[in-house]
Amino acid sequence: MNIKRSIVLRVRIAFIIMFVFALAIIYKIIEIKYIEGEKWVEMAESIGFRDKEVNAVRGNIYSDDGSLLATSLPFYRVAFDATVCDDEVFKSGIDSLSMMLAAHFGDRNKASYERLIKQARAKGDRYIVLGKRYINYREKKELESWPIFRKGQMKGGVIFEKENRRYKPFRQLAARTVGFTNSEKKGVVGLEFSFNNNLAGQNGRAVFQKVGNGNLKQIYDGNEVKAIDGFDIQTTIDINLQDVAESSLRKHLRKHDANYGCVVVMEVATGEIKAIANLSKNAEGEYRERYNYAVASSVEPGSTFKIASAIALMEETGLELSDTIYTGKGEFKFYDRTMRDHKPGGYGTVTLKEAIEKSSNIAVSRWVDQSFNTKPQRFMEYVRSFGLSEPLNFQMVGEGKPYFKDPNASDWYGTTLPWMSIGYELRMSPLHMLTFYNAIANEGKMVAPIIVKSIRKADDVIEHYDTRVIRDQIAGKSTLLKIRKALEGVVERGTAMNIKGTDYNIAGKTGTAQKVKDGRYTKNYYTSFAGYFPAKNPKYSCIVVIDSPKGYFQYGSDVAAPVFKEIADKIFSLDLNLHQPLPSKFAVEKGIFPVVQSGKYDDLNLILNKLGISNHLSEPAEWVKASIDGTSIKWNEKSQSEGLMPDLRGMTGRDALFLLENKGVRVELAGKGRVAKQSQLPGSKLIRGSYVTLTLE
Amino acid sequence: MRERTDIFANVDWITIILYFALVLFGWFNIYAAVYDASANQSIFDLNLNSGKQLIWIGASVITIIIIFFADFRLIDSLAYIAFGVVLLLLIAVLFFGREVAGSTSWFEIGSFRFQPSEFAKFVTALALAKYLGDPQAKLDRIPDLLGVCAILFLPVALILLQGDAGTAMVFSIFILVLFREGLSPIPLILGVLGAIVFLLAIYLTQIVELSPTWIYTTIIIIGIIATIINRKKRSKLITSILITLAICGVVRSVDFVFEDVLKPHQQTRILVLFNPDLDPQGAGYNVNQSKIAIGSGGFDGKGFLEGTQTKYDYVPEQSTDFIFCTIGEEHGYIGSFIVIVLFSALILRVIQLAERQKMRFSRVYGYCVAMILFFHFSINLSMTIGLFPVIGIPLPFFSYGGSSLIAFTVLLFTMVKLDSHRMQVLSH
Repeated sequence: MNIKRSIVLRVRIAFIIMFVFALAIIYKIIEIKYIEGEKWVEMAESIGFRDKEVNAVRGNIYSDDGSLLATSLPFYRVAFDATVCDDEVFKSGIDSLSMMLAAHFGDRNKASYERLIKQARAKGDRYIVLGKRYINYREKKELESWPIFRKGQMKGGVIFEKENRRYKPFRQLAARTVGFTNSEKKGVVGLEFSFNNNLAGQNGRAVFQKVGNGNLKQIYDGNEVKAIDGFDIQTTIDINLQDVAESSLRKHLRKHDANYGCVVVMEVATGEIKAIANLSKNAEGEYRERYNYAVASSVEPGSTFKIASAIALMEETGLELSDTIYTGKGEFKFYDRTMRDHKPGGYGTVTLKEAIEKSSNIAVSRWVDQSFNTKPQRFMEYVRSFGLSEPLNFQMVGEGKPYFKDPNASDWYGTTLPWMSIGYELRMSPLHMLTFYNAIANEGKMVAPIIVKSIRKADDVIEHYDTRVIRDQIAGKSTLLKIRKALEGVVERGTAMNIKGTDYNIAGKTGTAQKVKDGRYTKNYYTSFAGYFPAKNPKYSCIVVIDSPKGYFQYGSDVAAPVFKEIADKIFSLDLNLHQPLPSKFAVEKGIFPVVQSGKYDDLNLILNKLGISNHLSEPAEWVKASIDGTSIKWNEKSQSEGLMPDLRGMTGRDALFLLENKGVRVELAGKGRVAKQSQLPGSKLIRGSYVTLTLE
Repeated sequence: MRERTDIFANVDWITIILYFALVLFGWFNIYAAVYDASANQSIFDLNLNSGKQLIWIGASVITIIIIFFADFRLIDSLAYIAFGVVLLLLIAVLFFGREVAGSTSWFEIGSFRFQPSEFAKFVTALALAKYLGDPQAKLDRIPDLLGVCAILFLPVALILLQGDAGTAMVFSIFILVLFREGLSPIPLILGVLGAIVFLLAIYLTQIVELSPTWIYTTIIIIGIIATIINRKKRSKLITSILITLAICGVVRSVDFVFEDVLKPHQQTRILVLFNPDLDPQGAGYNVNQSKIAIGSGGFDGKGFLEGTQTKYDYVPEQSTDFIFCTIGEEHGYIGSFIVIVLFSALILRVIQLAERQKMRFSRVYGYCVAMILFFHFSINLSMTIGLFPVIGIPLPFFSYGGSSLIAFTVLLFTMVKLDSHRMQVLSH
């Protein structure tokens, strides 16, 4: 009895203890929720609410075919809070982490990283930056799996700070023209600068809540100001031509160890700049896109200007290409200054055509002096009518302004006109000179160069830039035809003979200007070649400038002209429209059909239509097999039962591979041609992961 | 066929239903705790804790089936052997274990981790039941008491050596079992009083920063008054003097225990209990974040997967020790209350099962199970709501983790198994 009572008592005591505990818990929960509830709710909400600017996404810059020249991508800076992770994680991970950081970034060695991180930890540093450069998303994913880092921000201490940065998929290609942005995401040079207002967009504002891991979550409370993303701009740059221009220029700059060079390729009819390359030598002796010489520099062009003089002469005095002048023994004195020709001993008596072809300084300057000496204003009127004296108002900010002396000014000497006639005592940008040559190629119609075709938001065009005409007709048609003859002669038998012999013919003019240093002309040259091609029906105009080539060859003919030819050759081979249609010697003969007898209908249909072979489908099908039907081809559906090995015979290796890999079968190819044999017979059961050997013949 | 019906014939379905209710509710909450709305993850995603937990739940079900099909007599006959094996594992883990968060309590074989101390509770319960199951054993006999002490203190000492004070503390609850089985209440009373005096002394010296002189003076004055009141009866007189001295001793020991025995993080954990704002970014962080989570949940919570505090790593250990926050935040007061009701019901049911046993072995074991569950449940909740220092023990059936889930499953279903055979008396 007593024992039983005692047990009951004990059980009750045990219950009471539990009960008291349970009550305490329930009370405490009520206290947290109701008595202190507001405090905790407030605290929960107050944690990390902040007003923050929402960055607008900067617009993209596209090439003419829609390839990305510049875009904004998320990049990450890797930082580290050295106080976060616990000793065990730190000790076991620091060694391999430092090694991986050193291998990945390469800016410090392993020991140095280890020291850096350990010191930061000892000092209780909550923020150190690891690695100098930003990493991309793919790298970030990799870093997230590293020791210590894999614990995340709260337990490992790694901080990935996201930043949208400008990324150029083609890297150096047209880099300077595309331009750069600064740390405030503002364009500082190039198109990024000139079109900054369009590209930048408008930043918005919104309230963000901090949610662990250092991330912020936007709160849509209706008060947010939405960021307006920037517009995209579509340029006229053709990636292929740009690549051709740049690599060719770089090659020749290296060859001549020149200071800098630039190339601009323009479409004759529209003035669209298809390629613009600017390379200059940096301290390491490498050629990089650093300054936009083509647009921004303004220099004495030299002999390329003689064409302007020649047109002025022909228009003013009716001078013909066959008219002659005596140039003497290669030296001629205007007042106290001696004009020299390149050829020792001089050219003697030359026609205007020969003067252009051989680039005789004396011939051109004497003619101009004879005709315009008393009326230099008249010569300047021609310069103006050629559109050479006023700025181009190019789309990019900072174009090099042309400079011509005023005949009434005190610095206009008696020698000014003759020297001006051969491209000295005046300055203009290479782009401007090209615009002039482009007008000659365009039968006298001078169009302004354009590099941005349109500003768009996705597919909506916000603003479209049409070709702008500067002068409807810079000179008479017959004059221009003659000038074009002379320009062809330059390549045919003149100074640029070294580049003759192309299928399509180049027309152009070399230029070699002596450079002034401390008021004296030096033995440093500014070489150029401006022209267009094909000579008969010009499609592109182009200017090549190479500054200060070293070595034996220093003239425009030897330095700049070969670059022109190289670029023109490649453009010609790339641009099918430039080719004469081939004689149709591969006309379809009866009974001869293409090699591919089996494959995807869309592709085969396209090929045969191009070749002009009649073909038709018996019933709609994706994969087909050919059967000959008189002079045409009939496509029959190639049976493809689910789960059965398809008949691959007659297909190209690529088609067969595509088909099989889609079905999960591994393929081994042997031989070349189309499929002749397949190791698993058509119609046999298809086994995923099994191997099929295809013999091609 | 007959055997199969027999196996489930006397099974206590109430316990089983409560068990599965807790496990499933826990599973949903583990998913909620790791759920990232932007990632669109499935609860079955094996990269998530919820997916892994599902595998453990599956393993638990298999474990349950094995327990049901085993011969129940094995439980009794293997009790000491199991105890011995786990003791060996506890020793082995000291040498071959892997250190996680300051304690060397995990075996690591490949990616598989296993914590033997989770099973120590189970085998200690078995060993204690076996020892007290002997009709001869009496808790007022010194040799038997020593035996009980040995069974309890061996695993406790080994677990303390691993540095896992939280799990070691669980064993203190066995004192309630012993009390039920006839242990004198004095150790219980002394233990509770000692703890209260200890905490009070910490509070007074560390938080109020009262001078020790004042404390001693007060104790001695009260002691003298008690002595004067009790001067007529000699035994009471002596007791009064002894108690006064003992309290002085406890207070005297506080400084030493607090400064020299406890590690710095344990010290702050006790201190933040009295004042959570003491170190809001450090030791108080967990509790504060946890309170924010529970407090911001309100009456009916923010809704399943809608919590913000328990995601994004605000609350550390949010799918293990602090899983209760998720319930508090997403299911509010109702959810918390349901959890408390489910647990209380389960514990009471297990006590009921224990009380209806015919064998002392089963009864003692049942009490052990109830008490272990009670301790885990109450202390885990207490630490998430700031009633008790954070000692890092999981919420049974709820917290993410395989060792813990399987250990608790084995613990509980061994009792269910014993209960289903309560009509058959073990022959010794």
